Amino acid sequence: MIALTVHILDEIGGTLLFLQKILSTIFVKKLKTHEIFVQIWKVSTESFPTTAMAGFFVGAIMAVQFAMPIREFGALGFLGGLATSATFREVGPMLIAFMLSGKVGAFTSAELGTMRVTEQIDAVRCLGADPMQEIIVPRFIGIVISSFFLLAAGLMMSVFGGMALSQAFAGVTPEEYTRHIPTIVHPLSILSGMLKSLVFAIVLATICTYKGYTTTGGAKGVGRAVVATAVTTMICIVVMDWFTSFLGDVILQMVRGYRS
Amino acid sequence: MMTLLADTFWGTFTGPFRRKEFFQQLYFVANRSLFIIVFCVCFAAVVTILESSFHMKMVIQNDAMVPGFAAVLILRELAAIVTALLLCSRVGAGYASEVGTMQITEQIDALKMLGIDPINYLVIPRFFACVLGGILLTVVSNMTCLFAAMMISQAYLGYTPGMFISSMHRFVQFKDVLFAVIKGACFGGVIPLVACYFGFNCQQGAEGVGKATTNTVVVASIAIIVIDFILSYTFSYLY
Repeated sequence: MIALTVHILDEIGGTLLFLQKILSTIFVKKLKTHEIFVQIWKVSTESFPTTAMAGFFVGAIMAVQFAMPIREFGALGFLGGLATSATFREVGPMLIAFMLSGKVGAFTSAELGTMRVTEQIDAVRCLGADPMQEIIVPRFIGIVISSFFLLAAGLMMSVFGGMALSQAFAGVTPEEYTRHIPTIVHPLSILSGMLKSLVFAIVLATICTYKGYTTTGGAKGVGRAVVATAVTTMICIVVMDWFTSFLGDVILQMVRGYRS
Repeated sequence: MMTLLADTFWGTFTGPFRRKEFFQQLYFVANRSLFIIVFCVCFAAVVTILESSFHMKMVIQNDAMVPGFAAVLILRELAAIVTALLLCSRVGAGYASEVGTMQITEQIDALKMLGIDPINYLVIPRFFACVLGGILLTVVSNMTCLFAAMMISQAYLGYTPGMFISSMHRFVQFKDVLFAVIKGACFGGVIPLVACYFGFNCQQGAEGVGKATTNTVVVASIAIIVIDFILSYTFSYLY
């Protein structure tokens, strides 16, 4: 138990130090803009179908789940607003980020781990270049930017999915569905969803680059790094979800002055 | 994939059942994932309570129904799907890399040479372990989630556990638990099938194993979400 605790603290500290190194590299050295754009393009094109499909079905699930209790109150007009608000604030970013962690995180950590195991990273250092600047930072920035936009696109798709499926299964027309979205979905809700997306993107990029960069032990080590990346990312996403919800609640109380 | 499913069902009735392997896999699936799942589900419950209180305040101006509503949401959706996605990333990736490594080191061909059916040897113990583990973990995560929700609703909203339970009593039926168990079993069954399919069709080299692992996690996650939608829609007729 003590060894496990020490190991967990070790991992957390290593990840944070790695993030600090990345940030210092970003602000001190020159950015490789071409490489960053290549990474953005790669991540976005690879993961867009996955994200869009996941978002569509998340919206559909939320709409179907909310339709049952709301029908008892006879308030089906509010279905669109409630399902959209719930998806934006809470469930949407988390589930879509789970998908992305499986896709982007696993791919990146496998790539970097293979580079580390086959000593390509050491080769870059031997040639006098900084591996942080050449390899890690472009991937980090690319994953952050593209994940953020992918999560936003997934949230948009979730609205569409809820609309389509509630039309098909609950008989709510798109006009009815979208009528109460502006009244119920507060601008701050959309802002909180975007904030969550940004935080999840940063968490995902940090963990997958760190795990890939610190791979040891040959081909088996790469497999271990991939599994560890997926699991750690999910845990961190859930924890950060709670944290951002709490923060958003506090900010909301400050802004609107309501007391629970 | 469908052939693998059919072969798995056929192999259940033929050939010896490897009890020892089954229990080893069950230990790996259920016991080793328990801590992570319980930890994550607790946080998910906290978020659910906070957000549903926010919504209730917005729409009907009081939060008297938050406990019941959150309990329904937890039992019907949240616990099962968070458990399944965590299992998918942990167990699915592990199985895919394991079976993929066996494929590229020709251990599976060696099994065939010895006259052992690889599906009976590899897939069936994992399949049943995952189904049983999915059921057990779903029940455990449901209970943990409700317990965490109780604590948080006392801390934030001032509901005592008694009020929480009586509010649950209005909304939640025994059917909900049953349906959550069915969901857990279905999600658990999907994971090893997808993982073993990609593992058997693994390309040569270390890159192939990585690709198989990534594909497994993505396909299994999407399959879980789609199956979740289908099951939710089916169950909505049974209430």
